[in-house]
Amino acid sequence: MTAILESLDPRVKRMGITAENLNAFPTPPENDQFATYQVIIEPKEGKGYESAGIVHAPDAEIAFLFGKEQYSRRFTCSGMAVAATADVLASPFTENKISVYDLLEYASLEENNSAGEFYEVFHLYKRGKQHSHWGRVKAVNPEQALYEAKEAYDHSKPVYNIWLIASDNIFFADENIKQIWDTLPLKTHRDVRDYKAQDKINAYKERIKSNL
Amino acid sequence: MNQLAIKELLYKIADDQLILGHRNSEWTGVGPTLEEDIAFSSMAQDKVGQSLAFYKLLHNMGENDPDTVAFMRNAEQFHNCQLVELPSGEYDFSLIRHFLFDFAESARFRRLSESSVKDIADVANKLKGEIKYHTMHANIWIKKLGNATDESIERLQSALNYAFPYALGIFEKSPFETDLIENGVFVGEAQLQEEWLEEVQNVINQTQLILPTVTDEEIKYGGRIGKHTNHLQPLLTEMSEVFKIDPTAEW
Repeated sequence: MTAILESLDPRVKRMGITAENLNAFPTPPENDQFATYQVIIEPKEGKGYESAGIVHAPDAEIAFLFGKEQYSRRFTCSGMAVAATADVLASPFTENKISVYDLLEYASLEENNSAGEFYEVFHLYKRGKQHSHWGRVKAVNPEQALYEAKEAYDHSKPVYNIWLIASDNIFFADENIKQIWDTLPLKTHRDVRDYKAQDKINAYKERIKSNL
Repeated sequence: MNQLAIKELLYKIADDQLILGHRNSEWTGVGPTLEEDIAFSSMAQDKVGQSLAFYKLLHNMGENDPDTVAFMRNAEQFHNCQLVELPSGEYDFSLIRHFLFDFAESARFRRLSESSVKDIADVANKLKGEIKYHTMHANIWIKKLGNATDESIERLQSALNYAFPYALGIFEKSPFETDLIENGVFVGEAQLQEEWLEEVQNVINQTQLILPTVTDEEIKYGGRIGKHTNHLQPLLTEMSEVFKIDPTAEW
């Protein structure tokens, strides 16, 4: 039996994975994953929040812990928020310069004196990019929130998709914990620019050439 | 001021971080969930990075360069407490160790940030935010799992019973204790232990766990003077395996 995983890492070597025992690893049961949370990051103070991706977590607190190490690993970070994916209300998608706001039709909204709640509104300005936080509106329900957003948005760019998250369902990092990102700019070892391999490759090529 | 006193202090901090960083990195790829695996591995990497900061301070004081110091010493030359060298075990033990150690480290850094030695205070201040995340991570998990199911509570409790006498060994006094305190370099291990215990107790009180009672004789001292368990040397041998293939290689 020969190992099929050759590695310099002694821990991997020790596992002794061979073609014969590869299938001996247990198959996990179905549906053994936690629910997903959306992680929303502000890369730099004042730059605004942008959706970064999802984490699987049992609750928002742990989603925050996970989000920090999955999505704020490099460069800088000044803030983070998480929200359960189940609490994100998403509009349909549009394309070809058609703003999703243009497709929204509203029944006349009744005057409503109840206090309403706040909603965070996220816009997608380019297909394939991430949703970015546009602002916050107050409304009695998600339909009215879309209407309020449509009224307030300057429509300078078409919006291809809208996310609404009730402000009570999104959790932003407190000011006093933002120091967890203090040393992030120093972690240059996590970025490819820290490894100037080209110099070494060129030197190697030169050496080979001169030996020919 | 006795330079040996400062070196002893720096060595034990750096060695704790390096050894625990290496131990915790053993979870990379086999952590309980993908996200936790990444979070725990990142903190392990932070720990190794923190040790580098202190090895650099030692290098400035005339000690060997960080790589040589980290990879070329034998077990009896290491000043880490025994807690950090224990095998990673199951995740319950690794979490409890992370909790007990990181709260001690957070208290230590808070005090070091007031040190009369400016270089030490600067490093402590720089790394405070990182340690804040580490204690946050430990705190949240211990509170969740310490209140979750019979199994999780039982597992954490038995890990805590096992780890606690070792955790108290973190605060083994240095032969230079008075010197360090009188010169305002560091507040001293006894004071540190008191502050740590209060914070640890505060978290434990919010769970169904109980902090065990430990007699003085049961505390696992010795690490600071190079007396280690049988687990340290194999760890060092493995950690330096690649480095020793060619100690002069440029990476």
